[in-house]
Amino acid sequence: MTPLGKNDALDRHALVMACWLAAALPAAILFDYGFGQGGAPYLFCGFAAVLTGFVAHVIVNAVYATGFSPRELGLGLIIYGAGLIAFVMTSLVSAPFAAHNFMPLSVGFIVTGAVVIFYLITRFGARQAFEGFDAIRDFRSGERDRSRSTGARE
Amino acid sequence: MTPLLVSTLGIIAVFGLYLATISGRQAQQASDFVDGGQALPPWVVIFAGAGIALASLGLADHLALLATFGLQYNQVAVGLIVVALCAALTQKRIWLAARLTDLRTLGDLLGDYFGSTTLRIFMLVVLFLFSIPFAAMCLAQAGALVGAASGADVPPGLAIWAIAFALFVSSVIGGWRGIAYVVAAQSLLVIVLVMFFGGFTGFTVEKLAFAAGGIWTSAGILPDKIPGVIQFTAGIGKAPPIGGIWTAFAGLTFALSLAGIAISPGFSFLGITSKPHRAFAFSQVWMIAGVTAGALMLVGPVLAAEIASGESLTAFMSRLATIDQMAGVGFAVLLVGSALIAIAFFAGSGACVCTIELTSRYLVPGMDPRTIRFAARVALAAVYAAVAVIASYAPLSATIFSSLTLSLSVQLLPAVLGLCWVRWISRSGVLTGLIVGTLFVVFTESFGLILFERLFVELPWGRWPLSMHSAGWGLIANFAACLLVSLFTRSDAGRDRRDRLHEAFEESEPARLGSPAATTAKWSLTLLWAFFALGPGAILGNTFFSEPIFAGTVVAPGVPSLLIWQVLFWFVGIFIVWWLAYRGRLSVIDDLPRCRIKLVPDPNPLFEPITTPWIARLLNRVTGR
Repeated sequence: MTPLGKNDALDRHALVMACWLAAALPAAILFDYGFGQGGAPYLFCGFAAVLTGFVAHVIVNAVYATGFSPRELGLGLIIYGAGLIAFVMTSLVSAPFAAHNFMPLSVGFIVTGAVVIFYLITRFGARQAFEGFDAIRDFRSGERDRSRSTGARE
Repeated sequence: MTPLLVSTLGIIAVFGLYLATISGRQAQQASDFVDGGQALPPWVVIFAGAGIALASLGLADHLALLATFGLQYNQVAVGLIVVALCAALTQKRIWLAARLTDLRTLGDLLGDYFGSTTLRIFMLVVLFLFSIPFAAMCLAQAGALVGAASGADVPPGLAIWAIAFALFVSSVIGGWRGIAYVVAAQSLLVIVLVMFFGGFTGFTVEKLAFAAGGIWTSAGILPDKIPGVIQFTAGIGKAPPIGGIWTAFAGLTFALSLAGIAISPGFSFLGITSKPHRAFAFSQVWMIAGVTAGALMLVGPVLAAEIASGESLTAFMSRLATIDQMAGVGFAVLLVGSALIAIAFFAGSGACVCTIELTSRYLVPGMDPRTIRFAARVALAAVYAAVAVIASYAPLSATIFSSLTLSLSVQLLPAVLGLCWVRWISRSGVLTGLIVGTLFVVFTESFGLILFERLFVELPWGRWPLSMHSAGWGLIANFAACLLVSLFTRSDAGRDRRDRLHEAFEESEPARLGSPAATTAKWSLTLLWAFFALGPGAILGNTFFSEPIFAGTVVAPGVPSLLIWQVLFWFVGIFIVWWLAYRGRLSVIDDLPRCRIKLVPDPNPLFEPITTPWIARLLNRVTGR
């Protein structure tokens, strides 16, 4: 992967934003209706809209021959994590919500996670995909680098 | 629903502002402000092209007319394929001519190619119509929609000024690149929402009106049939056609007027300032002819039937809001977003083209890049102020003026065809055609009729006489005059200059339509398609699938025969555009042009005036005092 030029990086970023905007509004409508009268089918469709946004993002990456930027990864993980926490907390606090939405939402979150993992494995292979999230290894290698650098100073 | 609607529109405005800011920050040179460095990415052309075609129709108007006239008006969706065909014929050659000559606008190209200042002025008039009355009409519509959706919590006047301000700030920060990003992103959103609401309405609304009884039009209007090939009536306002105004000829000529989008100054500026490879072809085939025409053709009737059963667009929006508030907001965003595309694009492109063609060329020649950027910002401010004032205080005038826009824009077709393909079309021919065509357009549209009848006497015809759109009247007269005059003046003084450009075309990107038989097949198929899809042959679609000619019986296909006919010819239309754009290489750019040519040699100030004499005299009169 060659780093993008200034204009290409801007073009890619704008396209990614456009794709997510187009996926987000239908997803919001579907989730809103799914939590109300619609029920499980519409919640599934909401997750499908989110996944469509993700697939569009992957296609954009392929067109520009790049991967996800660290900011995009961070933002994605934060939104996914926040959604998951909100879902767990609401399910614990509100019994009717849990009774109504627990199954479709948990399936949705699992499928979304599975699709991301599937993408990572097919894109990088199992080992590299795991290494990308191996915080302990990063932490240790960071420690090793620090001790080496202090040794050099001594 | 008001807070939710305002928040959603606010998010879209902030999104536009963000795109404009990042684009403005990364602009490498001040001169990039007006043309995006002539390197807009392909995806912008792909999405914006489709969005502009959709927005020029006016989505809210389209749905309202579909609800009023039924499937006879759905012919207009098939007509979008004509936009794609016209773009396939002209967009690549205009781009190539701009790269070969280092010119940046269609007005400059036509002016230099034909050596005519009158053509430049005509282009500026068309540009003015697009960027002020047309944009003002869309802005007034957007304001009214926000007002209706919020139950008058947000007054239309406030909505108009807020929208104009948000779009102006985005444009003034991001320049042409920022405008193009915003338009492309909104186009993608609108196209996705059109398809989404087709499905959502189908699944959530109980007893879908289209499935239950079709589109309930008012008495005397045929809901699922074209009311004849042509009707010999005096026109709207005098004696409207029986069964509805959308006869086969009305559909065909309206589709021809839509070709005015493809050769409009703004749309061609978008193409010229891009760096496409296959983007033109993809945009024309899959986005305009495919997705946009298909979505309008299939989703339009479903939504229109619901609108017709609930009396109005606003009633349908409220009905959606009772099902789910967010859905109501989404539908409002769809309609407002479609108007926003037209406002942002036509006002933005108008200001940029005006800076290049008028300010830099005639008013303040020799500006440095920073001054050009400043001039463009002033032009943007002036355009947006004019648009907002007209939308607030004179929306009816904006509607009357904008009815001329597409019809006058398409009158440039002979000139553009001359530039791109037909070197023997001469300046005299083009100008004669333009004058005659413009007169025909003006006197078959409400603008000319109102003006003439108020000032002089009542005319015996109304708007669109013989159920033929003004663009059709204008084009018939225009082509007849242009071809006739060109026959006698084809070897005039400008022939050398025209030949130079066409030889450069042949050297850089020769047309590859294949063997003579393949070429004949391509154009014959296109004409046959036009005859059956939009022309007199479309009348067969009224009963072709419900009362098959040879079966001698009536069958029930489940949907109106006309809709099946339209869908069939939509598929054939996509195939034809694909064949021409990809296989015929009409829209695929294989190589960048290697040579440069000069259409007009630099004037020698000792012997020739730099400015056109009559403009110089006019300027002297003003500045000399």
